Amino acid sequence: MRKCLSFLRYYLSVYRRYISNNVARALSFRINFILLFFVDLAFYGSSFGSVSFIFDHVDTVGPWSRQEFLFFVAFMMAVDQIHMSLFMMSFWELSSDLREGRLDFSLLKPTGILFPVFFRHMRIGSMIAFPVPWVVMWYFGSEIGLGFVDWLCLPLFVVLAVALILVVEILLSAAMFWTFEGVGINFIRMQLQSISRWPDFIYGYLFQKTFTFVIPVLLVGSAPVHYLLGSSSYMILVAMLMAILVVSLLVNIVWKIALRRYESASS
Amino acid sequence: MSNVLQRELSKWTQTVQISSANFLAYKGDVLLQVIGPAVVFFLIKYQLWSSIYDFADAEVIKGYTIQSMIEYQAWVMLVGFISQSYNSRHLAEDIRLGRISSYLLYPFEFWHFHTARFIAFQLIQLSIVAVSVVALYISGFLPSLTLSHFVIGALYTSLIGLLWFSIHFALGILAFWLDETWMLRVTFIIIANFFSGAVLPLELFPDALRSLLYLLPFPYMTYVPVKIFMGVYEGSVLYAISVVLLWITILSVLSRLIWARGIRLYTAAGM
Repeated sequence: MRKCLSFLRYYLSVYRRYISNNVARALSFRINFILLFFVDLAFYGSSFGSVSFIFDHVDTVGPWSRQEFLFFVAFMMAVDQIHMSLFMMSFWELSSDLREGRLDFSLLKPTGILFPVFFRHMRIGSMIAFPVPWVVMWYFGSEIGLGFVDWLCLPLFVVLAVALILVVEILLSAAMFWTFEGVGINFIRMQLQSISRWPDFIYGYLFQKTFTFVIPVLLVGSAPVHYLLGSSSYMILVAMLMAILVVSLLVNIVWKIALRRYESASS
Repeated sequence: MSNVLQRELSKWTQTVQISSANFLAYKGDVLLQVIGPAVVFFLIKYQLWSSIYDFADAEVIKGYTIQSMIEYQAWVMLVGFISQSYNSRHLAEDIRLGRISSYLLYPFEFWHFHTARFIAFQLIQLSIVAVSVVALYISGFLPSLTLSHFVIGALYTSLIGLLWFSIHFALGILAFWLDETWMLRVTFIIIANFFSGAVLPLELFPDALRSLLYLLPFPYMTYVPVKIFMGVYEGSVLYAISVVLLWITILSVLSRLIWARGIRLYTAAGM
């Protein structure tokens, strides 16, 4: 237990350093803060606008009303927001590190390889828009009558959703070791995000089963929101946890194999 | 005179050839970066609209049946292939990293080089579109395809490609002042896609907003070409072309002004 705590303390102290370095770097390009805020705002506006305009002409999409659907959109925005701020940059950096043989710097760090690769680079500017999806989620959550326990669980569900999409993407990113240019893999990753941004019921049978059981990105938002809306039992959350666990185990195995293929700039 | 013209033409054709070879060096990447996102976006919209029509009481939503809505979305994907694929990423990077000195010395200007690159990319994209149109037609996604509408639509959309290039160029050369221009580019793409009808047909927008949008270039960038391809565009194509040409001219003048001011700030790498 003590060993576990000191291990956690060590990683937290490294992570604190990562944050302070990223904040210092971000503050030296202040205009980027404003521009990033507009990128996020445009993204949120277009997502909410699209769904809202569709609901001007129909009463329901699948089993969901306007409020329920917009709550889902806000939930996914909150997940995206954390992902974009804390992890997205790392995937782009990984592709250029591999291309230029610069991964040695991460391999030499006194931590597990995944930690510096996926936790070091942040887009601090995106954090300015942090309250936007939460305020919208609070508004539509109140409209659909979420209970006290639901509100308590909501942050945990967002964290679980981020964890699931992150482990799936880390697993996928191992494919960069087999390609000349990892940018293409990053585009596949972005397509998986796009798929997860819509509720599972809009997809046909085959699509739904593939992206729930094989590449479980449809569990990211649909599982917690179905549970909160009472349309699924707690088993769907168990499925989500299982997916995180299984994909994490696969990450461990696949990344070990992938690292054997790495060639540094000097090798 | 003809010698000068021949020399100039040779520079352009050779730059187009070299750029094509560069683009095609990583075919898999072109496939994943350009075609992949558009295809996935189309598949999502196909599934979304199928689901909406399955649950809706009406068979027609704002004049669209499920078939015409899917056809609209298929054309949106094809218009995107022709018009939106090129971006100014390298252009901004060259300026930011001080790598444009060679263009200042060579007898082939910076914007000539990037326009030639754009033409090379357009040629690749047009061949991808030709294959996609055949595949989508055979699959039954483009029931109202006719040769005349296709030719007019393709020509008009190529002009839209030029408009997008002008926008990207103007935003890209802001790299003289900004460290990163991708944020401006992404913001513009998100806004333009939404208001141009690339996400939803403009008929689904509130009336007041739709009227307002026609004062801007957005509807002419996706909605109008899609309607031309579908053979149901009710406005004048000539008027639409004039509007697009006007915006291209405005952006070209603006780019010249930005370039003239920006180049004074330029510091080459190693100087």
